[in-house]
Amino acid sequence: MDQLPARPPRLALPDAEPVVALRGLTKRFGKITANDAITLEIRPGRIKALLGENGAGKSTLMSMLAGRLAPDGGRIEVDGREVRFTSAREAIEAGIGMVYQNFMLVNAMTVTENVLLGQEKGFFIRPRDMERRVAELAARYHLDIDPAARVGDLSMGEKQRVEILKLLARESRVLIFDEPTAVLTPEETFRLFEALWSMTSQGKAVVFISHKLEEVLAIADEIAILRAGRVEAELTPEEIGSKADLARIMVGKDVLLEVDHEAAELRETVLEVRNLTGLGLSGVSLDLRRGEVLAVVGVAGNGQKALVEAVCGLIQPPRDTVFILDKPWREYYADPDWKHTLSYIPEDRLGLATMPNKNLVDNMLLTTRKGFKAGPLLQKARAVADTRELVRKFNIKPGRVRVLAWQLSGGNLQKAVLARELYREPKLIVAEQPTQGLDVAATEEVWRRLLDARDMAGILLVTGDLNEALQLADRVAVMYRGRIVETFPVTDKDKVDKIGLFMAGVTDS
Amino acid sequence: MAALRVIKRDEPWKGGALVIVLGALAFSLAAAILMLAAQGKSPLLGAQVLWQGTFGHLFALEDALRKAVPIFLCSLGVAVAFRMQVWNIGAEGQFALGAIAATWAALTFPGLPKILLLSFMFLAALAAGGFWAFIPAWLKLRFKVNEIITTLMLNYIAILLLDYLVFGVWKDPSSFGFPMTPEFGPNAILGPIGGTRLHWGLAVCAVAGVGFWAFFRFTILGYELKAGGEGARVARYAGLRYGFLVAFVMIASGALAGLAGCVETSASLGRLQPSIMTGYGYTAIVVAWLARLEPLPIALASFLLALLRVGVENLQLEMQIPAAYGSIMEGLILLTVLAGQFFQTYRLEWRRGE
Amino acid sequence: MELEIVVALLAAAVQSGTPVLFATLGEMLSEKGGVLNLGVEGMMSVAALAAFLTSSFTGSPWLGFLAGGLAGAALATLHGVVCVGFLGNQVVSGLALTILGLGLTHFFGTPYIGLAAPGFSKFAVPVLGDLPGLGPILFRQDALVYLSYVLPLLFWFVMRRTSLGLAVTATGEMPAAAAAAGLKPLRLRYLAAVGGGFLVGLGGAYLSLAYTHLWTNGLSAGRGWIAVALVIFAFWRPGRAVVGAYLFGGVMAFQLRLQATGTNLPSSLLLMLPYALTVIVLVLSAWRGQGTDAPAALGVNIEPEG
Repeated sequence: MDQLPARPPRLALPDAEPVVALRGLTKRFGKITANDAITLEIRPGRIKALLGENGAGKSTLMSMLAGRLAPDGGRIEVDGREVRFTSAREAIEAGIGMVYQNFMLVNAMTVTENVLLGQEKGFFIRPRDMERRVAELAARYHLDIDPAARVGDLSMGEKQRVEILKLLARESRVLIFDEPTAVLTPEETFRLFEALWSMTSQGKAVVFISHKLEEVLAIADEIAILRAGRVEAELTPEEIGSKADLARIMVGKDVLLEVDHEAAELRETVLEVRNLTGLGLSGVSLDLRRGEVLAVVGVAGNGQKALVEAVCGLIQPPRDTVFILDKPWREYYADPDWKHTLSYIPEDRLGLATMPNKNLVDNMLLTTRKGFKAGPLLQKARAVADTRELVRKFNIKPGRVRVLAWQLSGGNLQKAVLARELYREPKLIVAEQPTQGLDVAATEEVWRRLLDARDMAGILLVTGDLNEALQLADRVAVMYRGRIVETFPVTDKDKVDKIGLFMAGVTDS
Repeated sequence: MAALRVIKRDEPWKGGALVIVLGALAFSLAAAILMLAAQGKSPLLGAQVLWQGTFGHLFALEDALRKAVPIFLCSLGVAVAFRMQVWNIGAEGQFALGAIAATWAALTFPGLPKILLLSFMFLAALAAGGFWAFIPAWLKLRFKVNEIITTLMLNYIAILLLDYLVFGVWKDPSSFGFPMTPEFGPNAILGPIGGTRLHWGLAVCAVAGVGFWAFFRFTILGYELKAGGEGARVARYAGLRYGFLVAFVMIASGALAGLAGCVETSASLGRLQPSIMTGYGYTAIVVAWLARLEPLPIALASFLLALLRVGVENLQLEMQIPAAYGSIMEGLILLTVLAGQFFQTYRLEWRRGE
Repeated sequence: MELEIVVALLAAAVQSGTPVLFATLGEMLSEKGGVLNLGVEGMMSVAALAAFLTSSFTGSPWLGFLAGGLAGAALATLHGVVCVGFLGNQVVSGLALTILGLGLTHFFGTPYIGLAAPGFSKFAVPVLGDLPGLGPILFRQDALVYLSYVLPLLFWFVMRRTSLGLAVTATGEMPAAAAAAGLKPLRLRYLAAVGGGFLVGLGGAYLSLAYTHLWTNGLSAGRGWIAVALVIFAFWRPGRAVVGAYLFGGVMAFQLRLQATGTNLPSSLLLMLPYALTVIVLVLSAWRGQGTDAPAALGVNIEPEG
């Protein structure tokens, strides 16, 4: 990513005593050891990046530091003294705060009210005084925000700034960021980095959890790499030769997750979007044929949701913009078949794709019910049998069909949804963030199934994971601010290298 | 430091429902009986009278079966709606409309042969109850108005409508000023079964109950209604016609309550009078919730609460306790069941601290 | 002559609307904290009885007024325990509370039907009471009405200008955010529910101590439900609640007068007016409202941490 700023010269802080030290910290979940005797030191004025793949133990470690989990072994020291946190509140009072991926903000209240919630001195509040305090705090740390704005109206980047202000208002000395750039546009990422440098130059310590190598290299003063629950290495950026080196340490081999695939046979067009303007989109056009995977990538919030919802029938697009299986949107959704049509695998597995409190049979029938129709009656017995078969074929644990959807793990739930949708033998599959939150094994399995599905369908893959997109897709479309800025085959190496730029809105044309 | 922790169960506690209901009943009865003392009446005597009133005579059991009929039908209606998370609180009003429609049919066509007249009364009641429930459904779909309050307001309006008719145009001239319609002719009466005090409304209940069970088990529409309970978004995802489902469920719900009104008017009273409104519609909600919206438990719970009503009547007779006492018990039962259902999803555990 | 009638009607509207105003603000407080309480009808009823009995036995209407509030608070606590403590369905619990409340009222109140208790009488505020028009309408009322004038302002002030009000609002919108900020959402919910119940109880007390001084059955007559509807109509803001409450007060007063002067309209149909109006008011609110005014976590119970 060429446009990430260069790090300003670091302050020559004397090697200060660590604010926080983790000594031999261990955490187990049943038989799994998520963190194994981890020792780290966090110093003021420095940005420490915690790098590692999904499941390496980064979030668990930070949850313990933030007071949300209790360690099974080892200890945490603040200013050299051992502390035990029994709640997040205690951690905050000790000066350690975490900015989560899911913002804990009240949309109906203003920025100021959110920042100073639980913080007000005294019974009465004076909005103007409070706003001034927040404005001063924001200015001091280079956080551009309007204190009187209603949080519900803010962008993701602005909301994140409010979360940061919350911690700063509590005079946190250690600020932990969990994958903060996942929801930011490149500009907002730049602003965040500026804010982080501002904070560290004023003595704060920052811990930055990420799995994005370029960002870590751009921002960190120290890099700690976690693998399988242990600290694999601790380095400074100068000591690193290349991204490849970093990647190798992270996973122990050169490439993370790779999947072999050959191009499948291309058949008829199953999805056509013509110049779709409206719903936050602008002139979006794409086409998809059976047998190919088209990946739509971009930073979250650039229009992908609207595109998916329009294509999948959740919201209505303008006339003559979306054509599914050669039918205009209106006509298709007036009375869709259940088989050989469009299958939608949403991001929201529990709550949209499935009914949490119903069993697997009921969930299987959700989109396939018309296939078990005998007049007005439901062929329940056949449905149960077919569900059992799917559970067996897709190896969905636990192996019973009467289990309720909420009882399934993320990976098994996704397999269940996939099983159901593939049962419909679709001609068009829309898969949204299909492997989000899944471990490596589940991810590989889902990828395999999707690739196999090309035999019968065209797949629109909407994902924020670039690696996933590049591994599975035949073509890639990059979205930025509601437009598709580039569409190119995955074989075009030149364009693939520039994906980061495209995602930032910088196009070739 | 040991503390009581709340843990979510891995699987819902299956046997819990029965335990909870029985526990709630016991607790509520005990509490209500003790309350008698506050009025200067002996709780011991009250318990005795209550027991005698419910299990003392065959009479009481027969009476309970009679009372159970409208409760059961209304409760089925409530359950149909609640299964889809549509909060139909209007069973009372829909019951009234059914009674009104049946009365209209009975008074307007007294000469029809029995089977025809009764069928017509049933249809009229189903239509009227369904219509009365359709109004809030339409408001919900068209204007997004919350159905809880609209169904409730329509209850009040329906009762006033019934009063109006019975005090006014339908008043029996030979009733010495008492508000009631003339007696129905013999063709409009749903008669007794054999020589007992039970009536054929029980058969109606059986048919309705089986129909309810079969509908939800075997039909696609029944499945769609269950799925529709997850909300409009999931409905859209699954291609369910949410608007249609809401309307259907409300109409069916109202129709069942209307049917109850018809049966009660025809079989129990033989005429329409304001005293027909004894809160069956609200008791039905208690029953439906206790029974977790399943038809067989609804039948049992209806009978149970009907027994309670009979017992309370005995208290009224013997100890001059107002009929509202039954409401106290029903309210307590529902509250304790709601609290008790917590334990079906969660359990408590003593956890030692670090 | 005509003007006198209108003024008298408006004065009656204010008096009739006052119990509804108390109840609406009470329910609004509860809902701002995220607790939907459909037991208002039952609570008002019980509170009316408690107030009546207390005033009757102690001779002090003010004690009665307080007792009414406490009775409302007690029932709201019950609802709170079932919903906040045991995660019971809020809709059903509220209904159960109404059934219970109405039953309790009839059961304990029947011996006292027709009896009177010391209550509040109207008196004129010096100077203000003599203003033309406004004087008789607003300033020749009983003490509780004057109290109710202050209430909406107090409500607004506490909710928007105190840290407690902010905390309650946050709990009703997103309990997780409140918890993350170090607040205790469960306690705040109890506070909102019980505080709201107290206000509702005051409304009930008004019915038996000021609106009438006699005890009868069915004193609340659906006012509790109307209050719930008015919270929606008011978009959860105290100012509009005043408008709604007096509007309904006016309709009820109008209906009474019409009945008294003897019209051809049968009383049953007249009595339908407030209920029909509630439905209309709800339709208009839903039509015009944003749909986002309701506290986001209203009616949604707070699950315990896993």
